[in-house]
Amino acid sequence: MPYPVISTWSATSPFGVGRAAFAAGTTQRRSAIGPLDPLEWQVPTTHGAVVPGYDIRASLGRKGTRMMNRVTGLTITTVGHVLEEVAHPEDGADDVALVLGTTAGSLQSSMEITHSSLTGARPYHVEPATIPYAVMNGAAGRCAIWYGLRGPNSTIGAGRPTGMVGLTYSRRLLLTGRARQVLCGAAEEFSSARSLVEHYGRLPEEPETVLGEGCAIFLLGLEPAPGSRPLASVLSVRTRMVADGDWGAAVGHCVEAALSSVDEKADQVWAVSHSGTADAAGRAEHARLTELFDAETLVPPAADLIGETHSVSSAFQIASVLSLAEQDPASAGRIAVITSVDPSGMAAAALLRIAES
Amino acid sequence: MNSTLARADSRPASQRVVITGLGVFSSIGTGVAEFTEGLRTGRSNVAPITAFDTSGFEYANGAEVAGFEPEKWIHHSPVKELGRATQFSVAAARMAVEDAGLADEDLRGLRGQISIGTTDGESRDADTLVAQRVAGDPQRVDRALARRLGVNGLSAAVAREFSLTDVEALTLGTACSAGNYSVGNGFDAIRVGDADFALCGGADAICLKNFVSFYRLGTVAPDVCRPFDKDRRGLINSEGAGVVMLESLESALARGARIYSEVLGYGLSCDAHHPAVPDQSSVARCMTSALENAGVAPHEVDLISAHGTGTKANDTTEARAIRDIYDNLPPRTISLKSMLGHAMGAASALATIACSLAITHGFIPPTINHVETDPECEIDCVPNESVPADLRIVQNNGLAFGGNNSVVVLGRHDKEAR
Repeated sequence: MPYPVISTWSATSPFGVGRAAFAAGTTQRRSAIGPLDPLEWQVPTTHGAVVPGYDIRASLGRKGTRMMNRVTGLTITTVGHVLEEVAHPEDGADDVALVLGTTAGSLQSSMEITHSSLTGARPYHVEPATIPYAVMNGAAGRCAIWYGLRGPNSTIGAGRPTGMVGLTYSRRLLLTGRARQVLCGAAEEFSSARSLVEHYGRLPEEPETVLGEGCAIFLLGLEPAPGSRPLASVLSVRTRMVADGDWGAAVGHCVEAALSSVDEKADQVWAVSHSGTADAAGRAEHARLTELFDAETLVPPAADLIGETHSVSSAFQIASVLSLAEQDPASAGRIAVITSVDPSGMAAAALLRIAES
Repeated sequence: MNSTLARADSRPASQRVVITGLGVFSSIGTGVAEFTEGLRTGRSNVAPITAFDTSGFEYANGAEVAGFEPEKWIHHSPVKELGRATQFSVAAARMAVEDAGLADEDLRGLRGQISIGTTDGESRDADTLVAQRVAGDPQRVDRALARRLGVNGLSAAVAREFSLTDVEALTLGTACSAGNYSVGNGFDAIRVGDADFALCGGADAICLKNFVSFYRLGTVAPDVCRPFDKDRRGLINSEGAGVVMLESLESALARGARIYSEVLGYGLSCDAHHPAVPDQSSVARCMTSALENAGVAPHEVDLISAHGTGTKANDTTEARAIRDIYDNLPPRTISLKSMLGHAMGAASALATIACSLAITHGFIPPTINHVETDPECEIDCVPNESVPADLRIVQNNGLAFGGNNSVVVLGRHDKEAR
């Protein structure tokens, strides 16, 4: 079966808006973690990694954005940057799909609904304009309206590996002819609700998490989008559930299964991106990769620079690898390995082949 | 167009996907036997909601799953550490595997796909967290709840329960059509060779956030759900889970499995029009793509299980879209939500199960609470009493907020005919 190719991508991230800002931040290893403005963010932590100066109305205009939540704004902004690169018809398309990863939608919008219900004069005194954004597929549905994306519209959750599972899901849409091109990625917003949930859920022995946010979107097709040349092909994605607590073995299984499925050897690998998760799973993941690959192929994790971005984290890893490939001629035709682990028990590995330039 | 059955037959058995196990927790019954009986007799269990404090609402009826005993079904996971929606999904997966005549070990050597659809995930836990915070004592906020809000837990927990390692577990958050999305994803995963089997379905637990949202939008019925009736007043919130075991026909035949139905195909479309109001042309486009994917001509369809929420907007738009596609001669078109209530992410999964049982047992479940069909919804909704019927092909509609439509087409598997 043919391999899907990534024609273009964009990201709205703590490095700033757009692909160039992400590429610069990640290749220059600039930390985007900083003190949070206490007037803007009523959160239990002092630091975070937010998209600098991101304002929905400044980014998207005043029309249709009055009650829009942040995750929807980030999604529409990012998808817009991707569509600018290709010939997306003004009146939309029936064969362009959107596959958007999430952790639980907008906790901010959904918890606001509950909060209003519990504290208002009447339990049904909730803001109706918030309701569509408080549904988990709100961002994907609104983004479809914005750009006329009438193909399959799927909101998926698979923890940190979501970006990679999204590639598999998108590949199936392409192979079965359900879409011609797929906008595939994930989005996560910084919010007081998400910060509080993270804070409350922390075990006493765990350090406070530095939360990040943003959106990364890849344009995937069996052919490159018209007018573009492929940046990379998606050779294989493998996932595995950890049943015995051995995260290193699970990551190893995923990597080896992915490599053998396309008959590649570890020495063909140009770069390896790991999740950089600070927990035991992340440490085991890293340890196993150092056994499998030469030390110089291991890319320092994006999470060190942009914080914990949950469902977008592996999409940001893919974006990092593509950013590095652009600057490194040695990447041409070679393999990038991306791995991730999630507390739910899932480990994943993806293989991309960087296009010949 | 070729007949469906010929088309499905023309696929190799390895690429034909059949349903061989059903797991169901619904407001009208738990398990295949009770659920089938409920569908046949037109059962409904609408009552005042007990899941949260409903004082201050003018009305708050729902259809809850009464007497849910997750411990009976969840054997290898700490039940109390799972939210109610996850308990539903794991219990329904367990029931589907048992119903398929499989042991846990049978699955472990295989490559699996686990897809669970949901509207709200563990929003009931999120409601509790907000309530604890409103109560003002941070010490009372429950850490365990905060750690399980990620919706991927609904599918990952299924993998953990069965100690499945070679699986992809994902949760589809496509609201009220998520169950159909999941069945479709499992169907594709098996057909493209990504999986040997798939556990697919949907799960949701009644929660305040969801109820108040629909209530505020004026779409909750004060008493009961009356789809396609001229006096319909909205939906009734419900909950539960439906999970099906999917495998290739080749695998089902090899192990002599009972086959409830064959998934002939499915379709997806997005309205890209309005977040909460369905779009007729997009719903029609979704049905067309599902029928084309299944290789089925409209006149071959014996029954449509409509999304049929019982709201003014949905039923009119959906009925019109159906009449468009069916050249004004639609087959009988029922709404299971008249009995089950709207189980959100579980709804179309429960409907997939109901359609499979209707095919297996040769009857059409009724649309209950029906007095007079709305002239705007010109369909035969099989009012109030089930009827015997020889069903070969059934179409199951799922529509959702966000304009996320998904339609699944199921067919009868006749051993002799193939």
